[in-house]
Amino acid sequence: MTALLRGRVVLIVAVVLIIQQALMDALKVRGAHPDLMLLLPIAFGLVGGSERGAAMGFVSGLLADLFVGTPFGLSALVYTLVGFGVGMTGGDRLGGGWWVTPLTATLASAAGVVLYAGLGAAVGEGQMLHAHLATVTIVVAVVNGLLAAPTARLARWAMNLGRPSGAWYTPVRSESR
Amino acid sequence: MALTRRSTRPRFTLLLLVLAAVTIITIAYRGHADSVINSIKGDALDAFAPVQSAVGDVTRPIGNFFDGAAHYGSLQSENARLRAENSRLQTQALQSADAQASYQALLKTLNLPWAQNIPTVPAEVVANSASNFEASIQLNKGRDDGIDTGMPVVSGSGLVGRVVVASRSRSTVLLVTDPTSNVGVRFGPAGNLAVAAGQGTGAPVRVDLIPPQVPVDKGELMYTSGLQQSIYPPGVPIGTVLTSGVPRGSFEQAVTLAPVADLARLQFVAVMQWAPKS
Repeated sequence: MTALLRGRVVLIVAVVLIIQQALMDALKVRGAHPDLMLLLPIAFGLVGGSERGAAMGFVSGLLADLFVGTPFGLSALVYTLVGFGVGMTGGDRLGGGWWVTPLTATLASAAGVVLYAGLGAAVGEGQMLHAHLATVTIVVAVVNGLLAAPTARLARWAMNLGRPSGAWYTPVRSESR
Repeated sequence: MALTRRSTRPRFTLLLLVLAAVTIITIAYRGHADSVINSIKGDALDAFAPVQSAVGDVTRPIGNFFDGAAHYGSLQSENARLRAENSRLQTQALQSADAQASYQALLKTLNLPWAQNIPTVPAEVVANSASNFEASIQLNKGRDDGIDTGMPVVSGSGLVGRVVVASRSRSTVLLVTDPTSNVGVRFGPAGNLAVAAGQGTGAPVRVDLIPPQVPVDKGELMYTSGLQQSIYPPGVPIGTVLTSGVPRGSFEQAVTLAPVADLARLQFVAVMQWAPKS
């Protein structure tokens, strides 16, 4: 990855972090707010494959952990797994309909929230399992589903992948959209 | 290295990242790195403070405008109701001033601490919880203004929570409604003791350990107990009894409290410069 592309990735992470902290945390639906930091690894996993999804998950998860009181490192672990899992499905790169990206993001977000609460309970934070988990899951999944397509496009721009291609090892050098 | 089999590389990366994350969780969980993690968290809050203020300055008026426009009618009636309540409270305050003075004098002679004599730092709430699994708020002041971790936070009328992270310019307050929050409470003329446990944002606070024979009246006010090594000073109002009763076959009462402080709409709070005595 060239310095320019690395800069783009850092820029996207920074912008999403600011939007999350300054806007999304205030946007409460029945006490739950969206989680864009979880959308980052999903988008990067969809567009760039499992390895990039996992790496982005680790970074965005650690950043998210800085601002919350839940066990430190838990978001990093969960987001890594989600990014990797999404990358394994290969959704976006297989072509498919326009609905593949939003649907994958919705399902992966829901799975991520449930996994987060479940692992939280496993490390001694049992209250995470019943604290309006259903509401949180729905809010995060729906918002991430809606924002999945533009975020995936941003991820493609950051990694300079022009359009969905069959194999992510194939160096795609076409211009970003 | 260029000849590494490509198909195994993503899995190796995953393994490495998962191991790293698990290591971080373990270190944090065992408390070895609490001070390091808290200082990193503090730095993150500080670094983010200017951005947050700037974005908040732009977005808050918009949010307030929509909020105000939508609730104009209810605001008018609320205003009238508050005026009436204000005049009633003024009378009450005059009446209780005398009683309070003698109570303070009594506490002074007995050398007992009292919550209202503790110096406070006023602060503004700048953000809600960053996590969906935690009931907390963020204040616009931190260590530079004399706020430190562990300090109790009150709003005009009652207990809000306590400071869990304090950076130079920001601090995070864990609310009494957070599921990990437990507060020792005292209530009734006999000074009965119990524990108030949070049940999550928006949910009433549950009070445990009240035996069935102890009378609990609806609307009764419960205060922090301030027993030895308590994390809160004594005499801070927590909430009023919402429901009470003994479930069939239970050895304790099921009591819930409505917090006195309006935790969903906090704007200004006071941080008490008080530390638990060990």
